[in-house]
Amino acid sequence: MKAELVKRNIKKEFNGWWMISLVGAVVILLPILFIFSSIFQEPNENWLQIQAYLLKNYVLNTFTLVALTGILTAFLGVTLAWLTAAYDFPLKRFFRWGLILPLTIPTYIAIYTYRTMLGYTGVVQATFRNHFDYRINPEWLTVSGIPGAVFIFSLFLYPYVFMITRAFLESQSTSYIESARLLGRKPLSVFFKVVLPLSRPAIVGGTVLVIYEVLGDYGVTSYLGIHTISTAIFQTWFRMYDVNSAMRLAAWLMVIIVGIFILERFLRQGRRYHLSNKSKPLAPVKLKGVSGVAAFLYCGVVFLIGFLIPLVQLIAWAILTFDKIWDASFLTLINQTVYVAVISTVIILILSVVVANITRSHSTFSFIVSKCVTTGYSIPGPIIAIGVLAIFIALDGVLAPVYSNMGLGEAPLILSLSLIMLIVGYFIRFMATGFNAVEIGFEKVGTKYMEASRMLGLGVTKTFFKVDLPLIKGSIISGFVLTFVEICKELPLALLLRPFNFETLATKTYQYANDEQIYEASIPSLLIIAISILSVVIIQMIGKRVKR
Amino acid sequence: MNLSKLFKPLLVGTALTIGLAGCAGTNQSESKGEEASKPEKQEVNIYTARHYEVDDEIYKKFTEDTGIKVNVVKGEAEELIDRIKREGESSVADLFVTVDGGVLANAKQNDILQPVTSDVINENVPENLRDTDNNWIGLATRARIIAYSKDRVTPEELSTYEDLTNEKWKEKLLVRSSTSLYNQSLLSSFIELNGEKQAEEWAQGIVNNFARQPDGGDRDQAKAIAAGIGDIAIMNTYYVGLLANSEDPEEVKVADSIGVFFPNQETTGTHVNISGIGLTKHSKNKDNAIKLIEYMTSVEAQEIIAAKNYEFPVNTNAAKPELLKSWGEFKMQELNFDSLGEHNQKAIEIFTKTGWK
Repeated sequence: MKAELVKRNIKKEFNGWWMISLVGAVVILLPILFIFSSIFQEPNENWLQIQAYLLKNYVLNTFTLVALTGILTAFLGVTLAWLTAAYDFPLKRFFRWGLILPLTIPTYIAIYTYRTMLGYTGVVQATFRNHFDYRINPEWLTVSGIPGAVFIFSLFLYPYVFMITRAFLESQSTSYIESARLLGRKPLSVFFKVVLPLSRPAIVGGTVLVIYEVLGDYGVTSYLGIHTISTAIFQTWFRMYDVNSAMRLAAWLMVIIVGIFILERFLRQGRRYHLSNKSKPLAPVKLKGVSGVAAFLYCGVVFLIGFLIPLVQLIAWAILTFDKIWDASFLTLINQTVYVAVISTVIILILSVVVANITRSHSTFSFIVSKCVTTGYSIPGPIIAIGVLAIFIALDGVLAPVYSNMGLGEAPLILSLSLIMLIVGYFIRFMATGFNAVEIGFEKVGTKYMEASRMLGLGVTKTFFKVDLPLIKGSIISGFVLTFVEICKELPLALLLRPFNFETLATKTYQYANDEQIYEASIPSLLIIAISILSVVIIQMIGKRVKR
Repeated sequence: MNLSKLFKPLLVGTALTIGLAGCAGTNQSESKGEEASKPEKQEVNIYTARHYEVDDEIYKKFTEDTGIKVNVVKGEAEELIDRIKREGESSVADLFVTVDGGVLANAKQNDILQPVTSDVINENVPENLRDTDNNWIGLATRARIIAYSKDRVTPEELSTYEDLTNEKWKEKLLVRSSTSLYNQSLLSSFIELNGEKQAEEWAQGIVNNFARQPDGGDRDQAKAIAAGIGDIAIMNTYYVGLLANSEDPEEVKVADSIGVFFPNQETTGTHVNISGIGLTKHSKNKDNAIKLIEYMTSVEAQEIIAAKNYEFPVNTNAAKPELLKSWGEFKMQELNFDSLGEHNQKAIEIFTKTGWK
C-alpha cells in the first residue's frame, strides 16, 4: 500500500527538473559521505589521547566563541536594524546601506589589519609614542584570544542579522508596530514586546548564518592561536597525519551543527504570526535632540570600526607598498578570480533555481533534497576540500580506461588537475547562498500563479520560463551577487583545490599575511573589498528598482 | 569496511554525469599532450609550500635560460604531501618544496620522494644540508636565534637555549605559539640531542619564564621586546631581515633596537630551519626536475635568495648580503633531519603537557 503510494509520488514528480536536482545533491553529498565513512574505523591511540586531554577544551572554546559571537551579532544586528527601520535621524539614509559594508571585509583580513594597526608599530601606539611621548600600555590594545575573535566576528558579520531583520521590519511588521504605537506603547516597550518577538525568525535566521561562519572559520582562529574543533581538525589531519582522528573531530562538529539546526527550527517555529504580503512600508518616526544624536553616534561608531577605519588603514598600507608590490600580474589575478567566480556562480544559480522550483511542493522528499543541497554551507572549507580531492582522484581512476582510449596515456590525472575541481568545491560550499536567495524569491511569489498556469495546461518547464522566472528575477540577481562575493572572498578551497599556476586574490592575500607581510597583503585585500563593495552597490540598486 | 567497494557504483555514476565536464577537461589536456610530445615544449611541475616572490623569480630565470616551463601549485606543506600521496602513481608533481626540516622528513617518511643523484648538486650543497639519502636537498636556512633588547640585555648574559630556562629570565622571555612548526622542530631537535626527559624539562622551564602567553608570529615577538613586554625572544633570522627592510619606519626602528644572538656556539650549535626541495617518487620529468634543483642550488640562484629573502644560502660559494654578513658566521646544530620528523608527535605531546599554548 505504502510502497504503491511512494511509487505514484515518484512517477508524479519525476522529470528533468528532478534529475538535475538529484545529480546536484549527489555531487554535494558524495565528498561529504566519503569523509564521514572513515568514522566506522577503530579509534586509534592518538584519538584516545585527544579525547582524554583536548576534546573538552576544543568543544568549550568552540562553544564560547559561538555563544558570545551569536549574542553580540544579534544585539548589533537587531538594534541597528530597528533604529534604521523605525526612526529618522541624521544620515540615516546612508546608514541603511552603509551598515552592510562591514560584510565586504573578509574576517581574515580584518583580524590582521586590526592586530597590526593596534600593535606596537601600528599607527595608534606609534603616534602616541612619537608625538606625545606617551607609551600606551600595549595590553590595552591587544586584539587576541577569544575576546579578539569575538570582536572581529561580531563587527564584521553582524550585517547578516542586520540585513535580514531590517528588510523584515520595513516590509512586514508595519501594522503591528503602528497598532502598538497607536495604543500608547513607549518605544522601548514596542521594541521588546512587539519587534523582538515578531522578528524572531529573521533574527534567528541571520544569527545562524553567522554561527556557521564562525564554526567553519579557520583564518581568524588559527591566526589568534585559538584551539577550536575546526583548527583541531586541521592540526590532527595535517600535522599529525591522522585522518581518522580528524574525521572523528569533524563528526563532533557535525553534532554541534545539527544541534544548532534543530535549535533554529525550534526557535523559529515556536510562534507564527500571520504576516500579510501586502503590508505597507513602516513610516519612520523622527528622533529629535539627544536621542537623534545618540542614534547617529551609535550607527556612526559601528560604521567607523567595522568599515571605515580598517579600509583607510589598508589604503595607507597599499600606498606604502604600491611601488614594491604592484605589477601587471595583479590584472591576471583579478581576471582569474572573477573568471572562476562567475562560472561557479552561474552553475550554482542555475541549480538553485531548478531545486528551489521543485521543492516548492513542500513534500517530505523535497524537504530532504533542499536540505541535502545546502549542507555544504555548514561544513568547514578544508573538510570539503579534502572530500572533493579524494573523490576527484578516485574519479580519475575510474575514468582511466576512457582516458587511455582517448590516447592520453596510462592513468593520467585529468579531472583532479583541472579547474573543475575547484568549481565543484565552490558549488558544494556555496550552493546554500544561492539557493536561499532563490527560495525566498519563490516564497514571496507563492504558488498561486504557478498553479494557475499549470491548471491552464502549461508544463513545468514552460510555466517556469513564462510565469515564475520574470517574477523571481530580482531574487536571482541578488542570489548571484551574494554567491559571487562569497566565492571571491573564499580561502581554504581555493588554496587546496586550485590547478597549476592559478592564484586568486584571496590566495595572494593569504600568501603575504601567512608570511607576516601584512603591509604587502593590503593590495590584494583591497581588490577583494572593492569587488565586494561593487556587488553591494549592485544589490542596492536592484532593491531600489524592485521597490519602484 | 571496504570503501572503494561502497563508492565504486556511485563513482561510476558520477563519472558518467560529469562526462560532459570531463570532455571539456580532456580537450584541453589533449592539446597539452601534443605539446609535450614535441621536444621543445619541456615542463617541470612543482608543488610548493614556499610562497615567496623570490622563488617565482628564480623559476622565471630558469625558464628563460633553459626553455623549460615551470608549473607551480602553491599550498600548505601538509596538504600538498597528502595530495601527492593520494595522487599516487598518477601524480604530476615532479618536485616538492617546503620550509622546515620536520616537514621534509615527514615527506620522506610518507614515501613520496626519491633519491637524487647529481654531482652538480652534491658539489653545490654540503652534505649536512642534504637528506641522508638525498631524498631532498637544502635550498636555504634560517637560524632560530635569541633576539634581545639592546637597551636592557647585553650579549654576555646570553649563552644557550638551555640557559633560557634560568630563573633570571622569569617573565622576560617571549616566544610564539607551539602550533608553529618552527617551535615544534626546535623541540624535536632537543629531544634528539638531549633526550626526551631533558626536552620536557626545557619546555617547562620556558613556559615558566613566559613574559606573556604566546601571541602572534615571530615579528610580533620582536615588537614585544621593543614595547617592553619582554627582554628576549626566540625567533627566526628571516623575520629580523623582513623588519629591517620594511617600508614602515616604525618596523625598521624595532629591528634596530634588537640584537641577534646565536646560541649554543660552544655546545650543540644553533638550530636552523631548512628549506628543501625533493624529487617526487613518481616524477614524470625527472631530468628537468634535477636540472631545476641544480639551478636553484647554483651560486647565481643562491645569491638571489640570500639577497632578497634574507635566508642563509646553502651554497658556500654564494655571497651574502650586508645584513647577513653583519650577523657573522655561526655554528649550526648538527643532526640527522629525519629525527625532526620522528620526534614531531612527541614534541606536540610535550607542548600540550607543559601548557605551551
